[in-house]
Amino acid sequence: MTPLGRSSYRVVVVGAGIVGLYTAVHLARAGAGPIFVVDRGFLSSGASGRNGGGVRQQWETAATVRLARESVAAYRRFGREFGYNPWFRQGGYLFLAENEPELAHLRRVHGLVTSEGLPSRILTPEEVARHIPGLAEGSVVGGAYLGTDGTLYPFPAVWGVYEAARSLGVEVALGVEALGVDAPDARLRAVLTTAGRVETTAVVNAAGGWSAEFSRRAGLSAPNTPTRHEILATEPMKPFLDPMVARLSDGLYFSQTMRGELVGGLTMRDGVGTEAGMPSSPRFLKEMSRALVRLVPRLGSLGVLRAWSGFYDDTPDGFPLIGEDPRQKGFFHANGFGGHGFMLAPAASRRVAHAVLGEATDLDPNLFAPGRFLDPHRSLPVERLQLG
Amino acid sequence: MADAPERRFLFDGDARSARPGETLLGALGRGELPRLQRSIRYHRPRGPVCGVGYCTGCLVRVNGRPNVRACRYVPSDSDVVTTENSWPSPRFDVYGIFDYLFPGGIDTLHGFRRPAWATRLYHRVIRRLAGYGNAPDPATASRCPPPVRTASVEVAIIGAGTSGRAAAARLVRAGTRPLVLDRALAIDPVPGADLAAGTTVTFLPPPGPAGFTLLGFEEPDRGVEVHARRVIVATGSYDASLLFGGNDHPGVFTADGALAMRDAGGRPPFRRAVLVGGEGRTDTVLAQIPEYVDAVVAPGPIQPGLTRRASEEEIPLYPRTLLVCANGRSRVSSVDLRSRGGGTRFSLECDAVVLAHRRLPNSPLFFQAGARMEWRAGTGAYFPALNESLETTAPGVFAVGSAGGFGPAESARSGEHAAAAISGAATDPTPLPRVPADGPSELEGYYRELWREPRAGKWIACPCEDVLLTELEEASRRGYRGIEVIKRYSGLGTGLCQGRYCLPDALLVLSLLEQRPPPGVGYITQRPPVVPTPLAAFAALDATPEAR
Repeated sequence: MTPLGRSSYRVVVVGAGIVGLYTAVHLARAGAGPIFVVDRGFLSSGASGRNGGGVRQQWETAATVRLARESVAAYRRFGREFGYNPWFRQGGYLFLAENEPELAHLRRVHGLVTSEGLPSRILTPEEVARHIPGLAEGSVVGGAYLGTDGTLYPFPAVWGVYEAARSLGVEVALGVEALGVDAPDARLRAVLTTAGRVETTAVVNAAGGWSAEFSRRAGLSAPNTPTRHEILATEPMKPFLDPMVARLSDGLYFSQTMRGELVGGLTMRDGVGTEAGMPSSPRFLKEMSRALVRLVPRLGSLGVLRAWSGFYDDTPDGFPLIGEDPRQKGFFHANGFGGHGFMLAPAASRRVAHAVLGEATDLDPNLFAPGRFLDPHRSLPVERLQLG
Repeated sequence: MADAPERRFLFDGDARSARPGETLLGALGRGELPRLQRSIRYHRPRGPVCGVGYCTGCLVRVNGRPNVRACRYVPSDSDVVTTENSWPSPRFDVYGIFDYLFPGGIDTLHGFRRPAWATRLYHRVIRRLAGYGNAPDPATASRCPPPVRTASVEVAIIGAGTSGRAAAARLVRAGTRPLVLDRALAIDPVPGADLAAGTTVTFLPPPGPAGFTLLGFEEPDRGVEVHARRVIVATGSYDASLLFGGNDHPGVFTADGALAMRDAGGRPPFRRAVLVGGEGRTDTVLAQIPEYVDAVVAPGPIQPGLTRRASEEEIPLYPRTLLVCANGRSRVSSVDLRSRGGGTRFSLECDAVVLAHRRLPNSPLFFQAGARMEWRAGTGAYFPALNESLETTAPGVFAVGSAGGFGPAESARSGEHAAAAISGAATDPTPLPRVPADGPSELEGYYRELWREPRAGKWIACPCEDVLLTELEEASRRGYRGIEVIKRYSGLGTGLCQGRYCLPDALLVLSLLEQRPPPGVGYITQRPPVVPTPLAAFAALDATPEAR
């Protein structure tokens, strides 16, 4: 446990992942006052250190496209801004369609993305094959490609925002768990942690896979569900594949990192809840290997180097929760990113900071407001382009 | 076998031949040190180190398949073998310029951020340096999917060494037919037991309601899945590496590697080795290849038995001595030593360094299975906590032999003991001593002293990924603590050996930097697979829910 530097803070951020730390940086730069970040694990022990590093701007809704586009710009300048090089490589994102309905889906996405001014393209199977050397014949009917999407190496981004936060005076306590809040009346008084009581009037729930649990500990029901997703990396190879490849049917995705490893996963909806921890499963290793080898048969002799897993923080409609909880003044959400927190963090956390500071944000409350699930008659858009 | 025809293959365009059953490394070595590799980041010259299929020193491309370990591959006629990761050859590699250009290392965490317009160029160059071999040739795809091997047994025994064989024989006596799996390409039969040679179990997840599912592969890429009610882990131990300047130069071997290459090539690939260590393992090496050893250097005291043998062979001994650095570039030519406690620094000429100073358990499967592990300071390693049946806290997983912390004298008996317990038979009540839980940790004090030595050149903390010792120090200086964070910060332990060689010494180094005992530094999660397992092998296995 880290002894607290003071007993009272302007803002307490729960979760030292990319979203929590980025939020702390935005708040500190805005001169919000003393900020305290707690995390139950070590730095990068959650999804921020476990994701595949994809950053894409191809989404079904304009609001998400805009957040992603702003994040791409932020990651492009990240190295110069934060002193750490996340190796954000704009090798493109290539979505694969295996049948005409999927291709029609990609066309709709393409229409929206281009209307937002981004040069996405619909590709023929031949064009797809040029991006994926060794693609099995007849495995796709087409694809959608945006060359300015890309991948990054997540760890340096975490170190960068962590050190920036600290140099701005933010206190970060690792190995400290947030146990709940003290809010005897409408006002928030304190956050209770394993390191003691921390007086504050604002708390940001950026706990990723554990955010629903922290909301409940604060007495607030939460719509999000932590879902375990597995991922693997292969032996490193010389450059072979430029884009991140993602398939609509089963959520298969993979890219080649700067270190030469192929890193990827696919959707297996059978690990709900954080209780079982973050193990790997035989089934994933088999299904993932089979999907990869069927799509790119030449990869069969390549060795799987390691496998791991982490939590997506899923919401029912595929949009994150950003902003103040209408039921508890001072309780702010920065969660529910559904496995896409890393790619949206720079832009999303800026809105979180605005909300904490009481400033207006440009976010559509119908899509992002934490209270949207409290309305039982709600019938609103859903972002279905959640993969992996 | 003398009349059996030799296998003829091409090595970088030259016709070569191998005796039947001879490994590629043996055929390319034949008592010499083959140059096969350059390191992943700095393209430093590398040679085979471990000889047992874990290090990256003998990776080659075979018939379009990258990263094949020459020490684990038996060539066939008309194989095409090429070197990887060097141009034009491993002996002279143009990319080796990066090692000279960046004597302090390439800082990819903080460097290459400016100017913005150069980003694409940086990405191209750094990507080009990464990776060992090229992607597999498209032609290799036709062999996919390969056949699988599946089995459902009462007891699976992982490892066909002394303890595993003893366990198997005891189970057979009790009427159980176990399946014994071993990495070795050939194993002697155990009457009444089924054997799977050349088979590596790479994933032992915690048991489900129906028992254990073991995943692995048989060389080269046949998927293996074994369902077992109980598992005896007899995976043995291996010779550890050691940190010193130039510890990655060709000519530095573990004792495993030196002996394996002697076996493969008829004689070891050196004439005048400095043998490191002062205990039983050193004695074993000295007994087998005394004429190839010029000196024995021990981090701590030297056992009397070893002293007697060395004096018979007239080999000088240097007890309580720091191995500061190995000199030479394309091959070790000398070592710098200093007597501990502030003695003078001196050099010995040699053409190899053989590391026999400590043996560590092959323990990743215990971690995977969820067994509780205990730190034993004297060895500087984690061993599974065991009950009187030698069962770990993961019910149904038993630990025997050196993997379980039993010495050579107890090895066979530990196997019989676990087998008897599984069979419900009476077990031998004689106590089975394990390696001591506490005890002096010679290496902790050793590294404390080594820290005061001036350093020249790069000290490689993680050879697979070319992580420098200075990178660990930099991470520590910036306030990052604990091996899990240091791993993610530096990349240490994320290469092809998955930390097998770098992690034990890194724990001691971080213990010094963080000023807390090694267990406080933590441990790297032992992720599956234990060794790289071909995608094709996993892909061929049944993934239906019933087969989970």
